[in-house]
Amino acid sequence: MIATVVDWDALLQVIWVSLLAGVGVTAAWAFAIVGASRALEHGRDRRTVETVLYATIGVAGLAVVLAAIVFSIVILTGD
Amino acid sequence: MGSEIIVVIVVATALVFDFTNGFHDTANVVATSISTRAMPPRVAVGYAAILNFVGAFISLEVAATVANDVVSVQANSIGLLAVFSGLVGAIAWNLITWYFGLPSSSSHALIGGMVGAVFVAEGPDNVFFAEGILGKVMIPAIVAPVLAFVVGGLTIVFLYRIVGRLRPGPVTGGFRLGQVLSGGMLALAHGTNDAQKTMGVITLALVANGTLTEAEFHVPDWVVVSAATAIALGTYVGGWRIIKTMGSRIHKMDAAQGFAAQGSGATVILAASHVGFPLSTTHTISGAVIGSGAAKRLSAVRWGVAGNIVVAWILTLPAAALIGGLTYLVTRLFGTGAAGPIIVSTAILIGSAILFARRSREGAAPGVVPATGSSPP
Repeated sequence: MIATVVDWDALLQVIWVSLLAGVGVTAAWAFAIVGASRALEHGRDRRTVETVLYATIGVAGLAVVLAAIVFSIVILTGD
Repeated sequence: MGSEIIVVIVVATALVFDFTNGFHDTANVVATSISTRAMPPRVAVGYAAILNFVGAFISLEVAATVANDVVSVQANSIGLLAVFSGLVGAIAWNLITWYFGLPSSSSHALIGGMVGAVFVAEGPDNVFFAEGILGKVMIPAIVAPVLAFVVGGLTIVFLYRIVGRLRPGPVTGGFRLGQVLSGGMLALAHGTNDAQKTMGVITLALVANGTLTEAEFHVPDWVVVSAATAIALGTYVGGWRIIKTMGSRIHKMDAAQGFAAQGSGATVILAASHVGFPLSTTHTISGAVIGSGAAKRLSAVRWGVAGNIVVAWILTLPAAALIGGLTYLVTRLFGTGAAGPIIVSTAILIGSAILFARRSREGAAPGVVPATGSSPP
């Protein structure tokens, strides 16, 4: 009975989107923290290459988070 | 004229429910930010109120589910009284659980109340037990907290691995900053999912009144604006006892856990809102909070408190349904006019005032999160 009344497509969509977005976006923020923190450390030591590399990681992580937020709102407002 | 008065009472009651929903539920949304000191309590509550208001405008899928897929009401005074009684059942259950400091689910209280009242008023044929209640409420109600638990647990494992070698200071600061975003998204998600339930019920009342027909379902703009305002005001007034239960009594969180819990909860609620599942924010954030704690250390979670929450969840649907059904019977004692709703509304207002007065006399201290930001006991 349960198999016929549940909208499995919708339920599975909730599951995979939650797993992907939940883990992915929070991980991206963690990379932003790592990037910012390491970039500051290497910047103090005047290591330009490492500073640029970690700053890029930080900016990329932040960009992923902000893009995911905007994307989710755009998707929802289209309902 | 009589039915117009009932519609006004139903809309007012729905907005009161929406207010209590914000009051009761949204505290859960800000608890983690307060617990980890990412934001001072008043700032967190104000921020959540604004984003709840905004969130109410971004989707109508859940409103459609509540109005069309759970129950059906006739376009007559019986249908209107059933909607009114369902709302009273939900409000009464919310007040009871608030008074005793138990997190339950406003969403399931609302659906339980509507089911009980419509079942008694219009019979079982007008309650969609299979595809509506089981398929769109019960199964998602079980899946959501488990999913949030898993996502919260996985997230915190990844976060600790990614930031593991950094000094604690920048990590804590970074995740506290992140909680401004994750807490905001969770408040937005709450406004999206929960305000829509009230919109759905008001729309159902308008169908029962003949103002709208089921065939041409749409939520009028004034319904969206008033539901958004009510839930935002309820959020601002806040539910401090619930903050205490969710924020510190489940387990003490660090900023990474708070961020993981909020981010996980927000994604599950937003994904469910997109497909029209009327989830409970309380269920979902509780699952995420427990998951983020359990993944770090099982003993960090106070499982007794988590168990009490589960019991409250199990009780919510039948208890609200019972109160909704009984309310309908009491309302019908006064006929099918406006007298019943007026008398019952007055009674519930007096009951609420008594509960608030008793709670005030007992003092806010046991349930209030310290405004100074000191660690919760």
